[in-house]
Amino acid sequence: MGYNLLEALNVRVVGSGDRYLVLAHGSGTDQSVWQRILPLFTPSFRIILYDLVCAGSVNPDYFDFSRYTTLDPYVDDLLNILKALGVDRCAYVGHSVSAMIGILASIRRPQLFSKLILIGASPRFLNDKDYHGGFEQGEIEKVFSAMETNYEAWVNGFAPLAVGADVPTAVREFSRTLFNMRPDISLFVSRTVFNSDLRGVLGLVSVPCCVIQTARDVSVPASVAEYLRTHLGGRTTVEILRTEGHLPHLTAPALLAPVLRRALAR
Amino acid sequence: MAVTSSDTHFLDIPDVVLTIIFSLVADTRTRNAMSLVCLKWHLLERSTRKSLTLRGNVRDLFLLPTCFRAVTDLDLSLLSPWGHPLLDSFPNPLLLAQFLRHAFPSVVSLTVYVRNPSTLHLLAPQWPDLRHIKLIRWHQRLPTLPLGIEFVALFEHCRMLSSLDVSHFHCWTEDLPPAIQAYPMLAASLSQLNILKHSSVEGFKSHELLAITASCPNLRELLATCIFDHRFVGFVSDETLLALASNCPSLSLLHLVDATSLSNVRPDLNDDGYTSEDASISRSILCDVFAGLPLLEVLVLDVCHNVRDAWPALELLNSKCPRLKSLKLGQFHGICSGVDSRPDGIALCHGLESLSIKNSADLTDNSLEAISLGCPKLSKFEVLGCKKISAKGIRKLTHVLRNTLVDVKISSCKNLNVVSLLQTMEPIRDRIERLHIDCVWKNADNSVKQTASSNGETRLKKKNKSRDNSFCSRTWSKLQHLSLWIAVGDCSGERRPCTGSLGLRYLARYPSLSRMLLDCSGVIGYGLTAPPGYPDLSLWERFFLYGIENLNLNELNYWPAQDMDVNQRSLFLPAAALLAQCGSLRKLFIHGTANEHFMMFLLRIPTLRDVQLREDYYPAPENDMCTEMRAESCRRFEDALKSINRHIPD
Repeated sequence: MGYNLLEALNVRVVGSGDRYLVLAHGSGTDQSVWQRILPLFTPSFRIILYDLVCAGSVNPDYFDFSRYTTLDPYVDDLLNILKALGVDRCAYVGHSVSAMIGILASIRRPQLFSKLILIGASPRFLNDKDYHGGFEQGEIEKVFSAMETNYEAWVNGFAPLAVGADVPTAVREFSRTLFNMRPDISLFVSRTVFNSDLRGVLGLVSVPCCVIQTARDVSVPASVAEYLRTHLGGRTTVEILRTEGHLPHLTAPALLAPVLRRALAR
Repeated sequence: MAVTSSDTHFLDIPDVVLTIIFSLVADTRTRNAMSLVCLKWHLLERSTRKSLTLRGNVRDLFLLPTCFRAVTDLDLSLLSPWGHPLLDSFPNPLLLAQFLRHAFPSVVSLTVYVRNPSTLHLLAPQWPDLRHIKLIRWHQRLPTLPLGIEFVALFEHCRMLSSLDVSHFHCWTEDLPPAIQAYPMLAASLSQLNILKHSSVEGFKSHELLAITASCPNLRELLATCIFDHRFVGFVSDETLLALASNCPSLSLLHLVDATSLSNVRPDLNDDGYTSEDASISRSILCDVFAGLPLLEVLVLDVCHNVRDAWPALELLNSKCPRLKSLKLGQFHGICSGVDSRPDGIALCHGLESLSIKNSADLTDNSLEAISLGCPKLSKFEVLGCKKISAKGIRKLTHVLRNTLVDVKISSCKNLNVVSLLQTMEPIRDRIERLHIDCVWKNADNSVKQTASSNGETRLKKKNKSRDNSFCSRTWSKLQHLSLWIAVGDCSGERRPCTGSLGLRYLARYPSLSRMLLDCSGVIGYGLTAPPGYPDLSLWERFFLYGIENLNLNELNYWPAQDMDVNQRSLFLPAAALLAQCGSLRKLFIHGTANEHFMMFLLRIPTLRDVQLREDYYPAPENDMCTEMRAESCRRFEDALKSINRHIPD
């Protein structure tokens, strides 16, 4: 790619232990979102942190619009990082879009991952016949077209108000983190995420999984966790955290940490 | 046209005189303009420039100008990236330290950000003649450092040190005493010591204060945070104060401030204005202390615990400390009764030029009148948190002191609202230069309106919700600094900011307003962590900053609101966008963090010259965890900032 991947994506390895653990953040945040979880695991794991190429903390010049059109190049990035670090086995914790990336990565390299822990994960965000993903096509389109028609204003910083009062809460919550990324990247990545549908490949996963879900997450309906449990190919457990919100690693680390520890032990 | 022989030109003035003229010019931009006139002026200007603040990225240090050899006062604390260990990123840091010495051989006063001891190990030997040093660190002191190691590195090489300022330097209180005691000769020649710790909430314990002052008998200025609460170990007692006075009898400036006073929280007093605990200071001991410090000119005793019936000691101040010009008392009661309008208590200190009274529960309008009659030289007056005074008392005071008052600050006084306060300023309206008031609107008559013009700087502290700023005033011709405190409300609740705004655009009525400090750090809310349905800080940002583009600001210091749970003070999209619309901004300092692409918004301001993110609050986020504004992002942003500007840098 002409740049040093480990530097470009701010890859860091911290902690001491004989097992590797990857902490992968979701869209709208960066690796600092793990700051409250990190100290609880550094004594027992070598933890690998990195920023997704679309994160606000990565040089936006690295975002190649012609390359990052689906989730696969993100998977490439993850696997390249692990290869560059010489990691041949690790546990993986992924939040939101990184959960999707983790699922795809484990299908490509099943021997690499000892365990997949998926926080706030969903195989598809859009509703379908018999499937409740949480968002209607029409609602999402309204948001995207509002962004595009007001693109000028949005780029100048005023779109959050343009996502109007008639838009459902879920979409509004989702759009809150949208603006932590550069606007054009943000719009592009949102489209990528909403166009992704992993339902068909869930069965190909052979790695054991733990699906962690908060009691109320406006971005992920409760039924999705159950859907994942029944459709993921490997041995899968579901843990429900007694807290609300989409970012439990930030808002409730004390609740999340023991659940993570249990999941990593098995 | 005939030229008369009496036509002398400025350049005919002898060099010696020109040098003196140049050395009196202090303003940096003026100096930069002077140095561009001709080579001779350039050389003269450089040879008379005494004080310099280095801005620029540290990796460009090899570009350091070497023409400023006359500089005696050097500030290295603002180099980019702010707060990073100074020379650590270089393979050969010693060479660069020596280069700094070569460029600035005459430095005797240094300000430097010391992220870790290596900075001092490298820099202290370069200037062994250093007289004054100010150390800055908002990041946490590494817990693994041996006690006092940084001070030892400093004292070992700079034996001529006479002034040390660690008020913005985070270290443990246990670091300083052993180092001071290890260098007795240096300690004995130390004349100024500032250990008033803004950078943390610790106070020096009594034995530490005494150990330090015992080693430094020639101290003329001492500023220290200490503990007045007798329930804590190491609290300041009568014995402490007496011993302090006897250790350092030459003190002309003494600040003793309780550690809780610096935490920037509004006082939490009971209904009568008294704290729950009294300080362990008796007034007779205070009398003895004052007697032991005859050279005192400036005294601050910000005790934060009740000192009752203080008037006998204060009356003694006048005779025991005849040079006293400036006095600030916190939580002192019974300082002046003002009965029969006779001056008593503090009003007997007729030499006072500056008086600040904080949280005095029984200060009444009569007291204010007595003070105004008894202290005719008062030019600066501050009153904070005094519940019994009213507009009538203030008005009397401003009337009596109308020929001398130029600096007034009135804050947190229950009975005062904005409109009545402004009316009390009437007698000094055309003299006053600095003013601070709280914008409290209750009981205010909204129909009062006047027109205004004023120049200078505005400092706005936002706390709770207010309605539109619809006040202005008749001509305040000398007003240079205006400071307002505005209450906003609990930003972590479900309420969203209403569609209006704080009303910054009303400040557009003041066209000469060129510098502003906008401090929203008192606003606490949710950054990323908002529960569903709750607004986050980005909505509040829009509320605070809306309208800022209407102002002709040259310089803005902005403290964003904070999410205390995750120690985040950050710029979000609305702030970046609104700030980017301030077309006249030259300097912008954000006291928090920001993502790179938000900073890139700011490049739209054509006149922007100097931008920096300064996390000068405690604890400053450690850069590893806070990925916003990493060193590479900082470098990219500053490169972009430099490249778009085509003016000659000044």
